[in-house]
Amino acid sequence: MKVSWNWLCELLDLPAGISPQAVAERLSVSGVAVDAIHPIGKGLSGAIVVEVRGKRPHPKADKLTLVDVFDGKEVTQVVCGAPNVPSPGEPLSSPRLVWARPGATLPSGMTLSVREVRGVPSPGMLCAEDELGLSEDHGGILILAPEDGIAIGADFAQAAGLPDFVFELDITPNRPDLLGHIGVAREIAALFRHEGVRLKPTSTDPRTVLGWFADPVHCRDCDSPEHFEKAPRIVVEDPEGCPRYFAHRLTGVRVHKSPLFYRLRLQRLGVRALSNVVDATNLALLQFGHPLHAFDLGKLAGQQLMIRRAKAGEKLKTLDGQDRELLPEDLLIADVEQGVAVAGVMGGQTSEVGETTTDVLLECAYFSPARVRRTSKRLKLHTEASHRFERGTDPSALPEVADACAELIVKLSGGRLAAPPTDVYRHKIPTQKLTLRPERTTAILGLAIPTATQKDCLEALGLGVTFDGQLLHVEVPTRRPDLSREIDLIEEVARIYGLAHLPMTLPRLAMAEPPPPTKGMTIYRNADRARLLCASLGLSEVLLFSMTSPERVRLGEGKQATRPHLLDNPLREELSVLRTRLLPGLVELLRQNLAHGQTDIRLFEVGEVFLPSSPGELLPTERTHVAAVLYGHRDHFLKPTASDALDFFDVKGLCEQLLDGLGLKLCLQPSSEAGPRAVFIRVATENEAPMLHPGAAAAVVAAQSGELLGVFGELHPDQQKSHDLPNPAFALELVVPALPIEKQPYVAPSRFPGASRDLSFFVDDKVEAARLMDTLWHAGEPLLRGVSLLEDYRQPGHVPTGQKGLLFSLTYRSDERTLTDEEVHKAHQRVISHLGAKFSLQLRQ
Amino acid sequence: MNESDSRAGELARLFEESLSRYQAALAEATSESALRVVHARYAGKEGEIRKRLADALKAAPGPDKRAVGQAGNTALQKAEELFGSRLVDLHEQKRQADLQRRLDVTIPGRPHRLGGLHLLTQVRLELEGIFAELGFQVATGPQVETDFHNFEALAMPKDHPARDMQDTFYLRSHDPSHDPLVLRTHTSPVQIRTMLQQKPPVRIISPGKVYRKDDDPTHSPMFQQIEGLCVDEGVTMADLKGTLLYFVQRFFGPGIGLRLRPSFFPFTEPSAEVDIECFFCKRSGCRTCKGSGYIEILGCGMVDPEVFRHVGYDSEKYSGFAFGTGLERMTMLRYGISDLRLFFAGDARFTEQFR
Ligand SMILES: [Zn+2]
Repeated sequence: MKVSWNWLCELLDLPAGISPQAVAERLSVSGVAVDAIHPIGKGLSGAIVVEVRGKRPHPKADKLTLVDVFDGKEVTQVVCGAPNVPSPGEPLSSPRLVWARPGATLPSGMTLSVREVRGVPSPGMLCAEDELGLSEDHGGILILAPEDGIAIGADFAQAAGLPDFVFELDITPNRPDLLGHIGVAREIAALFRHEGVRLKPTSTDPRTVLGWFADPVHCRDCDSPEHFEKAPRIVVEDPEGCPRYFAHRLTGVRVHKSPLFYRLRLQRLGVRALSNVVDATNLALLQFGHPLHAFDLGKLAGQQLMIRRAKAGEKLKTLDGQDRELLPEDLLIADVEQGVAVAGVMGGQTSEVGETTTDVLLECAYFSPARVRRTSKRLKLHTEASHRFERGTDPSALPEVADACAELIVKLSGGRLAAPPTDVYRHKIPTQKLTLRPERTTAILGLAIPTATQKDCLEALGLGVTFDGQLLHVEVPTRRPDLSREIDLIEEVARIYGLAHLPMTLPRLAMAEPPPPTKGMTIYRNADRARLLCASLGLSEVLLFSMTSPERVRLGEGKQATRPHLLDNPLREELSVLRTRLLPGLVELLRQNLAHGQTDIRLFEVGEVFLPSSPGELLPTERTHVAAVLYGHRDHFLKPTASDALDFFDVKGLCEQLLDGLGLKLCLQPSSEAGPRAVFIRVATENEAPMLHPGAAAAVVAAQSGELLGVFGELHPDQQKSHDLPNPAFALELVVPALPIEKQPYVAPSRFPGASRDLSFFVDDKVEAARLMDTLWHAGEPLLRGVSLLEDYRQPGHVPTGQKGLLFSLTYRSDERTLTDEEVHKAHQRVISHLGAKFSLQLRQ
Repeated sequence: MNESDSRAGELARLFEESLSRYQAALAEATSESALRVVHARYAGKEGEIRKRLADALKAAPGPDKRAVGQAGNTALQKAEELFGSRLVDLHEQKRQADLQRRLDVTIPGRPHRLGGLHLLTQVRLELEGIFAELGFQVATGPQVETDFHNFEALAMPKDHPARDMQDTFYLRSHDPSHDPLVLRTHTSPVQIRTMLQQKPPVRIISPGKVYRKDDDPTHSPMFQQIEGLCVDEGVTMADLKGTLLYFVQRFFGPGIGLRLRPSFFPFTEPSAEVDIECFFCKRSGCRTCKGSGYIEILGCGMVDPEVFRHVGYDSEKYSGFAFGTGLERMTMLRYGISDLRLFFAGDARFTEQFR
């Protein structure tokens, strides 16, 4: 919210020497954040208001005008480049301009002199708004009307209320009382109470401060019965939605522009000046923080208002020209025929105050915060009024605010009050009476503040405080709906006393059992372990959004009909679904990084995916995955060669390292006896790995349960193409296990040497290596300690058709003795014959 | 000269002759394996010298056998010496030749590529470490939350204007009778879940992804928070301030002061924003601190009694503090990164800068 320093000064007794900056600083450290201070018209001097007496074109330049201006004493010719120089009228009713005379200075720092413009001397210049420091507007020179009431020859800065400072305040939602100048002034008075700052003695009636009572207006015939008849007729049908409705009736109003002083003041605070009546309601709003609305009484059917629930589907065109369809939860202001305003949100067009308006019904009401908020949210219509109503305005202030506004309308429009006001207020909203234990303040803050000081802090805010020797009894005015509990008072004491006084201590660390390990924390730790493993394997971590596009989810899921979770209010289509896999996002990054000129790319992500809820669960199933993509070459020397290109076994090796590092045990076959950590690798189906090449895709499967834990392999050629990748890419995605990583007991290495023997044979090329290795391990040979595959060769000509050649190295060892050649030989023969019994082998030497 | 002497002389000549040919052959051999072949040919089991010795022994009469044997052994010993010395020479030659090699050591090495953790992960792990020093344990929770855990239990009922402070993503619901689901707007629901499960004392931090409906250089629809909660008997706001000072000085550097500015959060009371002294300009005013000398880094406060009511804690017996900050903001401040979106763009050139 914006507030004007000059306006605050009108409300405060402020000793000289307290600068706007000092006030802003104090406000900021006390809970009212000042985001910025904008000086307005600072440094402007010597500019005066002059009248246009004549104009003619510059003899040598089309776009320049020679203007005769009258300063009350003499006429001077000034050269002007603006496109909007007005034509002169009769003296005293001619348009007026702002002339910066030679010697005048502008906010930009420029000092004016007599200057020759294309051969014509020009003393000073005629000013536009930006040159005066009023706004950024440089569309033309500022034109004033005689009605602005600024005398010819008057100092412009003084007449326009310059210089001023506009504070941009960030008001927290709990402080509706600060949404008007009077509230901010009250806060400043509290914070500077020791420096002699006070609200002006007239503060109980701050209207007087503003000079709005220059000619106090009264209803002159209030005692006559027929006059009483003219009081606004208000029927509140929904007192829950509208606990209080206060209205004035004004007559004889003439609607026109407000004087410059008020227009500039509104403009400075970000409000568009419209007409004197509407401007008066806005000025009252900015003064008190309480919204008002002026209806053209002549346009209200039946000249009466009803405050009721809208009928379902009832329509209303609001002031912004939009047709609004309403629901019964919306509070409506209606005349006898139709709705005329959405209560607390925006007025309707039909009863808008305009040039023909003579009679005004001025509304000053208190509406239910929750009701206003619901309607404003649903209609997506956030206004200055709704902003304040939904935070809670002060129901007690209504008469004061309405009177002040009526006074201002009278002053600006020449009308008068036509009747006594109407005040519908059935159930008075009481002030809160709270108690505060001074020692409780100490207990919460960790700082002992004397009771008298606590009392002083609360009184500074205008709360009524008495001390009974034990408790502070606090009466909270209705303008502070945020103060309803003891803790709220403690906060006010802390705020006004100053958090800078808080000492710094560390909390006592009490004895407590360590919390039991949870599944969530196990996954969290394993996820970090997966990150460290990937990083140590040469991959770089990336972080992507959890939200993605429906297209990308389809890419990752293939034909599987997984229903992803959709956002109800996404920012845009590309971020409208919660991801179910990590790979689609990472593959897209390959494309982007290639486009950036990267060549060999290795990326990984560890993050959550969101799967359909389990039966009976409200929340989606969140699972943590680790995924990686590899592209290009292995680490290579200088220029990469063909043999440096990555292949399937690079991603498989990465996967094996990850599984091992995450405490999973790689075995070769499914097995019901295998522990929960045993996993094996098999060919993946297309459903399991829709993004991968069907001939180079593997699945990681839990050996015991058969659950699919992940896939890896070569990217599908179609994906490679659609992601603009010139060469094959490789990818993996695994579920981060929920099992704590087991602490393995130490096994001392054998003191006795082992002996290795080669085993080389041809075998049917459809027999998987894993089956052969599994059979070797299960030969029942106790001395066999190692099986490694050394060669897999398939060159035609060297290998019989339909066969492949394999070379294994088998290691034999005993923990008790050094084996003899003969023992090793016999064991090796036993293993070979076991393998030979299961597969058709052609042994080779 | 007797017959025996002349036979001995003959034998010695034979051995001499063998040895001289042997020496010449050794001299010609230029590798260890060639050397061993020569050695085997002359001095090995089947070698010439042994053969000549064996022939001489056969021919020699009994009393001379001993002398013949001695001469043979002398020759064999000589052969071994020759071999050994030639082997040493050869090794020395090789060594000398090897020492003449001169590489261009300035050619770039064969890379062993380093992987790396995302900068935000590095900072998160560091923060977890700092708070662990103060006894805070990590706690986690789901990212899709119920309206209750994200708002209501944190004293933000429906229709509360404070909800405007956090623009929220809702999940499309198939059953409107359920509590609406939201992408959590803060990690505070983890505090609620922890307190619902555990009695005081509680001392946790909850790092994690959160979501707000915002998208510009300083706001991202997804970012990471790290929040802390400490509840026990007698926990005060002074404890909060001390905890934060410890954190600030461990993370941003020693000697950096902080100030608390009163503020408003629905779930804490009193609430405060925390500013640290600007470490770029040492409080003289710069662009980062917008001339104020202070940088806002986090929000905090004493847990509101309303929150304790929701989780069944007695607010007369227990008090506590909570604080929360954005991981990205901490990181941007420390590393001078100005665009938040860089963190989530997955550009390897960004990621690989921070090892
Ligand atoms: Zn600075």
